[in-house]
Amino acid sequence: MATLSLNAITKSFGAAKVLHDISLAIKDKEFVVFVGPSGCGKSTLLRIIAGLEEATSGSVVIGGEDVSAAPPVERGISMVFQSYALYPHLSVYENIAFPLRVQKMGKAEMDARIQRAADILQLKDKLQLKPGQLSGGQRQRVAIGRSIVRNPKVFLFDEPLSNLDAALRGDMRVELSQLHRNLDATMVYVTHDQIEAMTMADRIVVLNGGRVEQFGTPMELYHHPKTKFVASFIGQPNMNLIPGTVLGVDPTGVKISMNGGHEMVLPVDSSTVSAGDKVEVGIRPEHVDIGTEGLEISVNVLERLGGVSITYGTIGDGTRFCASLPGDAAVKEGEPLTLSVAPEACHVFDGSGDVLRRNSAPEIID
Amino acid sequence: MMDRYTKLQMVGIYAAVIVFLIFILLPFFEMFMASLRPLEHLFRSPYQFWSDDFSFQAYSDMWETVPLLGRYIFNSVFIASAVTVLTMIFVVPAAYAYARLEFPFKNGSLAIFLGVNMFTGAVLLIPLYRVLRSMGLLNTYWAMIVPGVAFLIPTGIWLLRSYLEKIPRELEEAAFVDGASRMYTLRRVVLPLATPGLIVVGTAVFIGAYAQQFLFAITFNQQRELQPLPAGLFEFIGYQDVTWNQMMAAALTGILPVMVIFLFLQKYLVAGLTAGAVKE
Ligand SMILES: Nc1ncnc2c1ncn2[C@@H]1O[C@H](COP(=O)(O)OP(=O)(O)OP(=O)(O)O)[C@@H](O)[C@H]1O
Ligand SMILES: [Mg+2]
Repeated sequence: MATLSLNAITKSFGAAKVLHDISLAIKDKEFVVFVGPSGCGKSTLLRIIAGLEEATSGSVVIGGEDVSAAPPVERGISMVFQSYALYPHLSVYENIAFPLRVQKMGKAEMDARIQRAADILQLKDKLQLKPGQLSGGQRQRVAIGRSIVRNPKVFLFDEPLSNLDAALRGDMRVELSQLHRNLDATMVYVTHDQIEAMTMADRIVVLNGGRVEQFGTPMELYHHPKTKFVASFIGQPNMNLIPGTVLGVDPTGVKISMNGGHEMVLPVDSSTVSAGDKVEVGIRPEHVDIGTEGLEISVNVLERLGGVSITYGTIGDGTRFCASLPGDAAVKEGEPLTLSVAPEACHVFDGSGDVLRRNSAPEIID
Repeated sequence: MMDRYTKLQMVGIYAAVIVFLIFILLPFFEMFMASLRPLEHLFRSPYQFWSDDFSFQAYSDMWETVPLLGRYIFNSVFIASAVTVLTMIFVVPAAYAYARLEFPFKNGSLAIFLGVNMFTGAVLLIPLYRVLRSMGLLNTYWAMIVPGVAFLIPTGIWLLRSYLEKIPRELEEAAFVDGASRMYTLRRVVLPLATPGLIVVGTAVFIGAYAQQFLFAITFNQQRELQPLPAGLFEFIGYQDVTWNQMMAAALTGILPVMVIFLFLQKYLVAGLTAGAVKE
């Protein structure tokens, strides 16, 4: 098993610059998820690690060895594709055997490895079937099986679950996490689904427009997003962002007047702003409570999910605001509602979208 | 199947198909009728659709009128098969390269191939004659095989390329990641998946080879024993008369082996021509 580092990777397709100076150090046995909106360059980055695409500049180092110029098979990686990329004319057994046959591995050893992979992935009774006779989840397992048998140092997954329905995706998420634990392997996993990222990752790389916005543990990203983009990308429902103006600063915090009229003193690093600056206040829907004093919102839509009730509404000036309240919250559609917000739970972003570091935030638990 | 047509539309469609089929098949039918008639009948007026002295006599007489007939039929099939095999040997790697690799003048050379297709062999007969003569190939099987292959390669590349392009690229990338070479991938992944396409292209090439051999045979070959059937049929034209009925019988007999092959391949042809049309 191995570490993986990317050093100043850039990639252009003709005139279009797709990746900008990406540097990451991924630890041995770490499960790292690349997440970001469609077209941000996740697949391209993964394909550069795999050796399917050549970086315009920068280097890929796996297990301490610079493999930038090596073909995929010499990098000690294996890849699972979004479309599974199973060979439809070969049986499940032969599909899994494919990389071993390429290596001209001896029959006994090959069979042993395939049986072990089939064991791990519960494919024992499916080995003689063709991929066309399998369900989506089983096909996905075959694709994973094919990547296991070579004992790679690093596993690469490109949106492996996006072709599955929601229920199956949940199951496979758990299975993949278990697989990671069983194999003790370094894994890089691409998805645009933040729930997959949050649930499976040891650390998450948030990509946006070909740049790394932030690289950290899920809880780090949740509690200490470095940018507005990360803040609104991580967390479900999305963080509310309310525009506001700085009224004054002192060493303990910033006094802000939010659109809609509410004023708050927020305990954040005040060294980079001054009175009159435009900022945005980020408040997570789950960090508000029904109260007697605070934000005045009018509720347009109420979703009662049982355990929680989600309200969608607006504050005074029309800015949208979503709140996640207890399941039995006394709320009605079309009625006004007062929400209290703890100042420590608020995030503040400056005009360029960078966060003002919070002075006090919850301990990060792993 | 979805029932998307009304009764009336179906009637119309079938009527159109029938008219089309009649148009195509009528000559064959008339060939067959002519092969059954005694020779005197052919010029009788008024035209008689059926008479009692129809017989299969011509089918046995033809072997005596033209003793080499069997040889001609064999030559036809042999030349067409040889052309097909050789063409496919060139077309498969070329089509794969056009479908998957990037190289300079890729589109330009493809366009030239298409351009070559627009010249019929007839325009190039004289230069070809000189080439074949200087290579010493005149009056051999090669005189009919080599030009046949040359004219069919472009068509083959165009047909097979579009088929290979439909095979998902990720399959090859997966093989590449697992360490398979291009050739290994071609052999173990691409060609097995392209089998219906290969059959379609092979058949198209075979038909082309069968149809074009006449021209090359009468220009580049004087050896009777090497002539294919279309050229050999000339021997039914005697000094005094033409034994039309036997000629038609011989022509139909000559097509028979091809027909049999087609019947066997039919299911692949239909599958091949519609493959990729539906997302699976
Ligand atoms: N072969 C290529 N030639 C030109 N541009 C490309 C090529 N491959 C990718 N791109 C461009 O690079 C950008 C990033 O693509 P990429 O496939 O990495 O996105 P992604 O983050 O994986 O998106 P998705 O979530 O939709 O899969 C896109 O704007 C895309 O148009
Ligand atoms: Mg992608």
